[in-house]
Amino acid sequence: MIQRREILRRAAWLLGGAVSAPAALAILQGCSAKESVPAAMAPALKFLKADQFAVIAEIAEIMLPKTDTSGAKDAGVPAFIDVVLDAVYDPESKDRFNAGYAEFETAAKAGGKPFLEQEPAARAAFVKTSLETALAGDRNPRPFILMTRELALLGYFTSQPGITQNMTYEAVPTVYHGCVPISQMKMPVYWE
Amino acid sequence: MDTNSFDAIVVGSGMSGGWAAKELTEKGLKTLVLDRGRMVKHGEYPTATKDPWDLPYGNRITQDIRRRKPIQTRTGYPTPANEHWFVDDIEHPYVEDENKFDWLRGYHVGGRSLMWARQSYRLSPMDLEANAKEGVGIPWPVTYDEIAPWYDKAEIFAGIAGSKEGLPQLPDGHYLPPHDLNCVEQDFKKVLADKLGRKLIIGRCANLTAPLTHNESPQRGTCQARNMCIRGCPYGGYFSSVSATLPSAERTGNMTLLPNQIVYELIYDEKKGRATGVRVIDAETRKQTDYFAKIVFMCASALGSAYILMNSKSSRFPNGFGNDSGELGHNIMDHNKPGNSTASVDGYLDAAYTGRRPNGFYIPRYRNVGKDKRDYLRGFGYQGRAQRANWSRFNDSALIGDELKKAMKEAGPWSLGMSAFAEILPYHDNRAWLDAEKKDKFGLPMLVVNAVVRENERKMEKDMVNDAAEMLEAAGYKNVVVKSDSFNVGNSIHEMGTARMGADPKKSVLNKFNQVHACKNVFVTDGSFMVSSACQNPSLSYMAFTARAADHAVSELKKGNL
Repeated sequence: MIQRREILRRAAWLLGGAVSAPAALAILQGCSAKESVPAAMAPALKFLKADQFAVIAEIAEIMLPKTDTSGAKDAGVPAFIDVVLDAVYDPESKDRFNAGYAEFETAAKAGGKPFLEQEPAARAAFVKTSLETALAGDRNPRPFILMTRELALLGYFTSQPGITQNMTYEAVPTVYHGCVPISQMKMPVYWE
Repeated sequence: MDTNSFDAIVVGSGMSGGWAAKELTEKGLKTLVLDRGRMVKHGEYPTATKDPWDLPYGNRITQDIRRRKPIQTRTGYPTPANEHWFVDDIEHPYVEDENKFDWLRGYHVGGRSLMWARQSYRLSPMDLEANAKEGVGIPWPVTYDEIAPWYDKAEIFAGIAGSKEGLPQLPDGHYLPPHDLNCVEQDFKKVLADKLGRKLIIGRCANLTAPLTHNESPQRGTCQARNMCIRGCPYGGYFSSVSATLPSAERTGNMTLLPNQIVYELIYDEKKGRATGVRVIDAETRKQTDYFAKIVFMCASALGSAYILMNSKSSRFPNGFGNDSGELGHNIMDHNKPGNSTASVDGYLDAAYTGRRPNGFYIPRYRNVGKDKRDYLRGFGYQGRAQRANWSRFNDSALIGDELKKAMKEAGPWSLGMSAFAEILPYHDNRAWLDAEKKDKFGLPMLVVNAVVRENERKMEKDMVNDAAEMLEAAGYKNVVVKSDSFNVGNSIHEMGTARMGADPKKSVLNKFNQVHACKNVFVTDGSFMVSSACQNPSLSYMAFTARAADHAVSELKKGNL
């Protein structure tokens, strides 16, 4: 409750002293909604098979590894990809994803070992090559590796660590300045 | 007075209904406001304070929502952050005839005033005179000088941020401080002025960049630059019925606001020659009720009000209420927006903006203005913005690992995008009608819509793409892409014209005060009344005409004329 009061106090400050009842209500709702979400969940897979999940998680982490900021796995990207594939993608895109996944695995094995058994450097090189090949070819409809990349980036940059560690995002910016030097921004990357 | 009787009934609580409710109740009328959708009260905006990570699926629309809302979602407008404002198409069907028609709807108290893009422009003398001068449709029965004071009133109450520009084609009004153009837009403005003699201005939008200049809306605070307006703003930072007009009406003590009430028919008294009320079906209980009043304001949207009028048949009005002219349901207009144009902007790497501006720039109409003469009538304006790219620029990149993590901490390059909104002429054959054979779940006949852009609009499209390319190239931008695809009428969500006003009752449904010619105690003040579409966003005009009609209604009531 202290936290809520603090939020209300801030809101009061933002509104110049007067928090309207609706504004207060909205802030409290937003607050309680957040509190009700468990910090970490390991949901059952919705779309990906367990072996696929392991590979997708690895691809995402290769693209977005843990550095001074969170990596894809820490940001919950693999589970996000599974959920979004299941709920958002149409059947045709899902089929294309599965077919592309199979090709990816086959191509990886052609180098000797399955993707997950390769050395980290080899895996990264294979992901890089796959991306370069896809980007050089027909991108419509989106090939598997670009679908995976898009999902990984979307998941990362809609996650709390992905946003708060990498860019300027303020829930309530309070003021818009149209033309300022970039040195005024702590992190010069835009959420919107 | 029995419980079902009022001085006035307002059908619909969106942009126009909210204004009718406010004006009528403030003038002392006991007013019943009916909305077909659920109740929404200021502050009850379920997603308004959610952070991006609180929204499911990365804010992408799911297949489940697509199945329920196939028409709403095909336009790309709904996201999980706002889809609760868009109707369930399965539950609320209509029929598309020869051409697709995008009917974007919000069935809840506040209607689309919660979801609008807040661009607020006046019609100009040029717009109001064009039909008469060019022999298109019928003349507007209202002059600019007659409506101007009502624009003043609407702007002052709603709070419109904007700049005064002295343009004859886009009259100035009463404005709160304008938003800044960003660094790139400022230079683009100079290029257009210097090289092409065209004006670029900041959009005029219903967001409070400063406190209101009146004390009538204590529930509203200033805009917090979140640019999440469509979710509903707990700060009251933008104008909606829910944040502004309905609270004013509520405070008078004269308003009764009932949600879930589907008005499907006007009750007409043949002896009195007057409407006596409305027939309603409860969306939840299916209970049917009649409500009575001295005057009725139809504010259910251009297609919604036309539907109710067409469904109100009597021996006096066998072809629909007030439809002696045969124009009811006809002359559907919107704004033709068949594409968009984008370009990448080199440089400006040290230039930034802070906060999220709920607004863009506007290039007011310049075609067929002054000495400019084209092989088509009327014109178009552009709405757009320049911005720095976000992370999605890496979707099509092969950068991985440390390299990607490093690159994504740099600000992205600039790009500039804009879309033309073009006037659509009134065509009798762009129309809506009822299909008595097809019924919705309430047993009511379904609306059929057929409207399409025609030769004048097609000719104009050439200028819309060529001019965009010319402007982007004049600024030296790279990768100029201009798109012009097919356009579903309705997609600009400015549908209008279904019960046009006019001096001649043989050619129009309403008189100059939005009164049904043939039944003076019924007023239609949503987009139905529009005689031409101009190319400006129309909501401010609905506000002004509604306030004027309410003033006229009360004055006529007092004189005993209604």
